[in-house]
Amino acid sequence: MDSGAKISKLGTRMMPYLAILRHDLGTLWSSRLVRLWLAGAALLTLMLTVSNWSRFQDAPLIASLLFPYLVFPWFFVVVVLGVSPVSGSQAEALADGILSRPVSRCEYLLAAWSARVLLVWSVYLAVIVPAIAVVALAKRPTPEDAVTVYGIVSALGLVGLVQTFLVSLGFLAGTLLRKPLLAVVVLIFVWYPISLTLSLFSLEQYSPVSLSRALSTQLRKPWRQNDAGAKPDANAQDMQAFARQVDRFFNVFSGSPPKVEPKKPDFFEGEKFEDFSMLRVVLGYGLPTLAAVILTMLCFCRRDL
Amino acid sequence: MTKGQTNKREMPARAAGAEQPGAEPAIYTEHLTKIYRQRLIAVNDMTLEVPRGSVFGLLGPNGAGKTTTLRLLLGLQRPTAGRAEVFGRPCGPNAVGVRSRIGYLPTNPKFPGSLRPIEYLDLLGRLSRLPHAIRKPRISALLRSVGLLGATNQRIETFSTGMCTRLGIAASLIADPPLLLWDEPTAGLDPSARRFTLDLIRELGKTKTVVVATHILSDIDQICDHIGVMHEGRMIFTGSMRDMKQRLRRDDFNLEVEGGEEDVRRLARDIGNIEGIDVRFGAGQELLVQVAEDRSRPGALSEVLKLVDASGLSLQGIHSGQNVTENAYLQLLQEDEAHGFGR
Repeated sequence: MDSGAKISKLGTRMMPYLAILRHDLGTLWSSRLVRLWLAGAALLTLMLTVSNWSRFQDAPLIASLLFPYLVFPWFFVVVVLGVSPVSGSQAEALADGILSRPVSRCEYLLAAWSARVLLVWSVYLAVIVPAIAVVALAKRPTPEDAVTVYGIVSALGLVGLVQTFLVSLGFLAGTLLRKPLLAVVVLIFVWYPISLTLSLFSLEQYSPVSLSRALSTQLRKPWRQNDAGAKPDANAQDMQAFARQVDRFFNVFSGSPPKVEPKKPDFFEGEKFEDFSMLRVVLGYGLPTLAAVILTMLCFCRRDL
Repeated sequence: MTKGQTNKREMPARAAGAEQPGAEPAIYTEHLTKIYRQRLIAVNDMTLEVPRGSVFGLLGPNGAGKTTTLRLLLGLQRPTAGRAEVFGRPCGPNAVGVRSRIGYLPTNPKFPGSLRPIEYLDLLGRLSRLPHAIRKPRISALLRSVGLLGATNQRIETFSTGMCTRLGIAASLIADPPLLLWDEPTAGLDPSARRFTLDLIRELGKTKTVVVATHILSDIDQICDHIGVMHEGRMIFTGSMRDMKQRLRRDDFNLEVEGGEEDVRRLARDIGNIEGIDVRFGAGQELLVQVAEDRSRPGALSEVLKLVDASGLSLQGIHSGQNVTENAYLQLLQEDEAHGFGR
């Protein structure tokens, strides 16, 4: 089979996925919620930039611009967007219109999830990237700051990952609880005290507040040091630390005493966040995101419409 | 068809879509059961066979389980027990191959209101994996066929009920499937739209298997050659329309007479005295004459007419109680109720 035929076959196979993705993106884009969010995000970013223009260095200013996406108020919008596709009255129209066609439920869910993630990323990047460019390139009456391109890209990716996680969480809650309003209320009650909840499991560094505080440090990290820096076994150490954290998490549930740690990690010491690890945070948010999507699929595939 | 009620003699002969010997039926269910949350039995142990190429009327009162049956076939719901097959393939949530052969029209279909008809049909064409070269001409042809060519620039949210049903019909035909499942296709339609829909079903029935779920008996009477009657989740009858009507062969007829009240009573008494004939008063001056199964119908009718002639009353009309689907349907429901525990 030549490559043209292969591409054509793949295109035919992907046709329903792409059709739903395009349709959902169009519907979401024309919704009032998304337009208000875009306008609100742009306005808030502008206000934060102007008010902190001469007060903060580059890194803290950029971190302050990212804060609304991690904690308040945009998490609420992201969750609402995630909740909607498979719950409430939407489910009925969905069954009649799309799922009675030759489309598998997994295909539909993946397309709806991708559309929401794409939309969230688009709005977020459309607002934040120009603001960061202005902050980084403009001459401001503040001392020079060592913000790196790697730092900016990784910080943007990190916040995007948290939002992807929130969309997936909304997806799962909407599917499990079926009622969008209930799902949103439950998620608000889950997300607001998340820092407190995570501290119970000794996972403070994953909390959105901790992440936003650590962003300044991350923004100043150079690519090389992170890539092949002083510690050649940095990834191995990260993985060990991640395994310890998972262990602690399950210890809390099982009631077994946690292993005695030789010393507290440096993460919160002096608010330098030198111990901040991208790998651990990516795993910490990436794995639950994956789990949420898989659980949603399992739940949705067994559901009567 | 339900065991013991299979009647292959009544299979319609069709140029296309006709049943081939040995070919599996369009729809086959075996002990299909759906119980909602251990509380409500929507479909109860249903065994059904819908022959290929037939126009099958799924008849039953509201809540009989018609819509649930269609949704089970589409895989939108999972059966609690039993199984369902469409063209020999098992139905289920991920049975994409089954759904590619079904065109579904739900009752009062809901559409994305912000789209225009062409956009909506294009979306459905893509969901059915139709290539551009087939999709576009088919959309135009369908919009023309259902009479929506003049509304292509309107958003769907501005459509009337009739227009929505027409769009739903076009949507169910976009992939040119061999099986159509139409749920209450004439619900909420004005007489002309209803006529259009029934004519279309009759036309489509020449080349496809069509299942029409409805509680409107006159629709069934006009378009279907096979019928299944559902009551409280059970399939209480399946067979051809002729089978259905012959079930009612009690040789009843109604006499519509005009004259004095006392004369009518006397006539009724006289008719009642004939052996094997029972008589009751109907609405106005109407007599319902029931002929026993062992009596000849023409003979009984002849004796009754002689008495009418002798009574001096004016005979306004004679209406046969035979071949009335409504009566047969109501009788089936009554019989099912009367069976009690025996059901």
